[in-house]
Amino acid sequence: MHSEPIEYEKPASLREFESIYAAKAEDAKILSGGTDLHVLIKEKLLAPRLLIDISDLPELRGISYDPVRGVTIMAGTKIAEIERSPLVKEHAPALAFAAANLGSNQVRWMATMAGNICHASPAAETPPVLLAHDCELLIARQGGERTLPISRFFLSYRKTALETGEYVKAFRLPPLPARAAVSYRFKGLRKAMEIDMLNIGAYLELGEDGTSVNEVRLAMGSVGPVTYRAVVTEQKLKGMRIGEEFFAAACDGVVQEATPIDDVRASAQYRNRVIGVLTRRALEECLHRIGERRG
Amino acid sequence: MKKLIKLEINGENFDVAISPAAYLIDVIRETVGLSGTKKGCGVGDCGACTVLIDGRPTLSCITLAVACAGKAITTIEGLSRGSELHPVQRAFIDKGAVQCGFCTPGMVLSSKALLDENPHPSQDEIKTALAGNLCRCTGYAKIIEAVEHAGRLLSGEGCDEQA
Repeated sequence: MHSEPIEYEKPASLREFESIYAAKAEDAKILSGGTDLHVLIKEKLLAPRLLIDISDLPELRGISYDPVRGVTIMAGTKIAEIERSPLVKEHAPALAFAAANLGSNQVRWMATMAGNICHASPAAETPPVLLAHDCELLIARQGGERTLPISRFFLSYRKTALETGEYVKAFRLPPLPARAAVSYRFKGLRKAMEIDMLNIGAYLELGEDGTSVNEVRLAMGSVGPVTYRAVVTEQKLKGMRIGEEFFAAACDGVVQEATPIDDVRASAQYRNRVIGVLTRRALEECLHRIGERRG
Repeated sequence: MKKLIKLEINGENFDVAISPAAYLIDVIRETVGLSGTKKGCGVGDCGACTVLIDGRPTLSCITLAVACAGKAITTIEGLSRGSELHPVQRAFIDKGAVQCGFCTPGMVLSSKALLDENPHPSQDEIKTALAGNLCRCTGYAKIIEAVEHAGRLLSGEGCDEQA
């Protein structure tokens, strides 16, 4: 059987959690939803000496919106709550869509978005959308907090920028400008409980004329050791006009910047072909959403 | 070191002495002795171990029992009232949605959670809600029919319908 964690602690408040974690972070794992953590423990890929259960801390739950700060999602909010949230559906529909396509209904009622990003799998569902939104992470530890753009969070395969004793406390999605939208597209083998063979989050922001491109963000998953943005392509696309040339440049660009490998889910060759298609669809969906927003 | 905790299962309190590393599925089946909940893959993929925790469908094979203290756990044994089956159970029988039966407890509980939230789900909504419950007899068509039927039974419609 699996290696048994020796201890389990369930702090009753955030303050208590921070003090336990400050003292024992080296040997501990934070238990939130457990849908990845317990599988890693059962498969003997991890053997923590202590699990600190934060799943019921009220301070870490909830979704709020403010016109200046945008959408704030506390780290312990369940994926199923994000999927159903009217605020998320209104201000970040691509995130609601990605949440609805994560795991299964049971997994979504257990798992959290903080768990999804801290697991730091390049195939995870929410990172491409969060990168497309240029999400800001609130990272905390006992006695302090800092913010970090999510673009600097994923360091390498299953390695994040969290320092010992730090945890992800909240996600902030800045408000979208009037002519901007985010979309998410993915490719998997079946509809549920699959690991994406490819996914992409796209952000498109148009100028006042409605045809010139102010800014693009393209965040690709499952084409490298981490989910990352095609920053060279994003720069090239800036200032172009919406049209065939723009879409072709976006598709060519992501294929240039993608570094997929062959694995059990798909070949590198397949991924290189399909990432361009997903990019085009994602950008078209952004355009459609911008049109809808402007009525 | 074992921990003494109180688990509320189907409205009844059980005092159990368990290892903090014990998973809920094993405590329900082995310690408490309710064997209706099934253990399939053991890593959260198949949904056979689904129970409801505070009404939400949860994978008991990747949930620590110790984490469930103070929560209301519902297993398949908790649905019927005496000899009177829950409408979802009735519907699974009426529609022939049970073949080998191994996935059935999880299917029934996932269906109940869906119908509690959405009394008249579309076929697509049913498929989405049950996507984490695998049936290797591939009896999905009958299962989906049963969930639709259960929705009607729960809202008091279709009582006279021939099964």
